[in-house]
Amino acid sequence: MNPFENVIFLAAAMATVAGFYIQAQEFIRSMIRGQLIQSIIIAGIVFILAYLESSPDLVILGILVLVLRGYLVTALLERRIPGNESYVYEKGIGVASHIIMDLVFIILATFIVFSLVFSGIHFSISGGIAGSTIIVFPLAIFFQGLFLIGSRNTTFSQIMGYVEEENALVLFALFIIPVPLIIETSVFLDVLALVVISSIVVMEKFSHEPMEELRG
Amino acid sequence: MHIIPFIIIATPIIASLFFRWNVKSVSLISGFIEMALSTLLYFQMPFHGIFYVDFTEWIFLMMVSSIYTVSVFYSIYYMKDIESRGISEEMYFVLMNLFTASMLFSLLMNNYGFMWVGIEATTISSALLIIAEKNDISLEAAWRYIILVSAGVTFAFISIILIYYNFHTLNVYDVIHSGSQGGLIIRVIVSIALVGFGTKTGVFPVHTWLPDAHSEAPPPVSAMFSGVLLPVALYVLYRIYQIAPYPQLYTWFAVISIAAASIFLANQRKYKRMFAYSTMENMNVALLGLALGGVGVTGALLVLVTHSFAKSASFFSSGNILKSTGSKDMDHVRGIWKGMPYTSTALLLSSFAVTGAPPFGVFIGEFIILYRLATVNMIQFALVLFFLMAAFIGINQNVTSMVFNGTSDHKESGWQMPAIALACAVISLLLGIVFLGGYFNALL
Repeated sequence: MNPFENVIFLAAAMATVAGFYIQAQEFIRSMIRGQLIQSIIIAGIVFILAYLESSPDLVILGILVLVLRGYLVTALLERRIPGNESYVYEKGIGVASHIIMDLVFIILATFIVFSLVFSGIHFSISGGIAGSTIIVFPLAIFFQGLFLIGSRNTTFSQIMGYVEEENALVLFALFIIPVPLIIETSVFLDVLALVVISSIVVMEKFSHEPMEELRG
Repeated sequence: MHIIPFIIIATPIIASLFFRWNVKSVSLISGFIEMALSTLLYFQMPFHGIFYVDFTEWIFLMMVSSIYTVSVFYSIYYMKDIESRGISEEMYFVLMNLFTASMLFSLLMNNYGFMWVGIEATTISSALLIIAEKNDISLEAAWRYIILVSAGVTFAFISIILIYYNFHTLNVYDVIHSGSQGGLIIRVIVSIALVGFGTKTGVFPVHTWLPDAHSEAPPPVSAMFSGVLLPVALYVLYRIYQIAPYPQLYTWFAVISIAAASIFLANQRKYKRMFAYSTMENMNVALLGLALGGVGVTGALLVLVTHSFAKSASFFSSGNILKSTGSKDMDHVRGIWKGMPYTSTALLLSSFAVTGAPPFGVFIGEFIILYRLATVNMIQFALVLFFLMAAFIGINQNVTSMVFNGTSDHKESGWQMPAIALACAVISLLLGIVFLGGYFNALL
C-alpha cells in the first residue's frame, strides 16, 4: 500500500468510528456534532481522491459534502434542538447495551453482505487502491445508520441515522465508481430538502412511540 | 428534442407559482393541461433521448395526469372546511403540484439516477400533505413515512451505483437494450432494487409505512398515494428489473406480499387502513404480472390503470363518509345507503373493482396474470388465487356491512364530492368493458 492508500483506509475507518460515536451519544447536540465530524472526514477522502485523480468533479463533490452535509445539515438540526440547549438528551436508552447489539449487528450484517456479494467483485478505484475490502467501511456505516434509526425513538436520532446512510452511499460510490456530478448534486439537494422537512416534524413531535391507532 | 415531456414536468411547477393567486383553480387547469399533453404524447412515441417514452410509460403518464386532476378537483371541496390544519390550504395545493411534478419527472427521465432523485423528491413533496389534517396520529404517520421510505429508497441508490459501475451509463434505454445476460452484479442490482424501491411499492416486509400514511392522509392524498405514487415506484422498479429479469425472486416476493396483505386487511377495523392493504395487494399483483413478462405485463398495466381510478373512488367515498360520520372505524359506520346513496354506490362499485369482480378491469388483469402464472408455477397460482379470494371476501363483506347493515341518519355533504367519487368508480367499470371489447375484437 502506498501512503495515500493508507490514509484513505484510515480515514474510512475513522468515518466508521464516528458512526459508533453517534450511536453512543445520549445528548442530541453531541450526535449532530458526530455527524459533522463524519461528513468532514468523508469530504477529506473526496479531496485526497480529487488530488490523486486530478479531478475537478471530485473537488466540487468535496465542497458539496462540506457545505451541504457538514455545514447546512448541522446548522439546520442544531437550530431545531428544543430551546437550542446543549443538555437536551434522549431519555431511557441503554447506551452500553445498544452499542453491544450494534456491534454484533454490524459485524454480522457486514460480514454476510460482503462475503456473499462483494468479496468476488474487484473494484479498482482511484488512487490505486485495488480489491474489494475497502467496501467494508461504507457497508458498516450504512448498517450503523439503519441500526440508529431502529434503536432510537427521537426524531433527531432517526434523522442522524438517515444522514449516516447517505454518508455511507457517498463513500460507497466513491470507492466503486463516482456517479456523474449532476446526479450526486441532485441527491445532495434531495437529502437536504428531506432534512428540512424532517426538521419541521421535529418541532411538532420530538419522540416516537407505538400508537394504538396505527396498530396492525 | 421533444418539448412536450418538458412542458408536462414544468406545468405543475408553474401552477405552484400561483401560490398567492387562486392556486386551486390554476392547479385544476394544470391537471387538464397535463391530461391533454399526455394524450398528445401518444402520437409522438416511442422516443428516447433526455426523456424516454414508450407505450408502458405513456400508460403511467395518463394515470398520473388523470388522478392528479380528479384529486385536485376533489380537494377543492374537501379541504374547504378542515378545522385543524397542519399546512395552509394554498400550501396544500402547491405541494400537490410539486408532488405530481416529481412523479412525472421520475416517469419521463431517461436516466436511472434522475429516476431515483424523482422518487426521493416525491417523499419530500408529499410528506407534509399527510399532516394537512393535523393531529398527533397524522404526525406520527408522516414521520414513519419519511423515515421508512427514505431509508428504503437510500438503499435503492446502491443499485443505481452498481448500474453505473457495470454499464458505465445510467441511460435507461441503453442499459435495458444492452443485452445483459445477468451475472452476480446484475443480480445484486435487481435484488437491491426490489428491497429499496419495494419499500415505496408496498412489498412485504418493507411496506409498514403504507397503512399508516394512507389512513391518516386526507382522502385525495391517499388517492394520489394509492393510485399513482406506488405505481410510479413500481414503474422504476420494473425498469431496473428489465435489465436482466430475475423472475423467481420477484414472483415469490409478490406472492408472499399478496398473502400478507390479505391476512392484514382481514383484521382491520378502520376502512381507510383496509383499503391501504388492498392497495398493497393490488400493487403486488401488478408486480407479479410485470415479473412474469409476456401477457402478464398487459394484465399488470390493466390492473394498475383500473386500480388507480377504483382506489381513488374508494378513498373519495371514504372521505365523504368521514366528513359525514366523523369516524374512521367500520363499526361506527353502518347503514349509510339511505342517507348517502351516491357515496354508497361509489364505495360498492370501487370495492368490487379493487377486489377483482367481473367485469372490472382488475378482474380481467388478474385473470390474465393468473392465466400466465398457471403456465409457470402451479404452487404460486394456487396461493395467489386463494389469497385473492380471501381479500375479495374480506373487503366486500366489510363494505356491504357499512352500506346495508343497520340504519343511520348521516347525509351526503354536498353533491360534488359524491359525484367525483362516483365518476371515478364508473370510469374503472368502463375501462374493463372497453378493454374486454377491444381485446376480444383483436382476438377475432
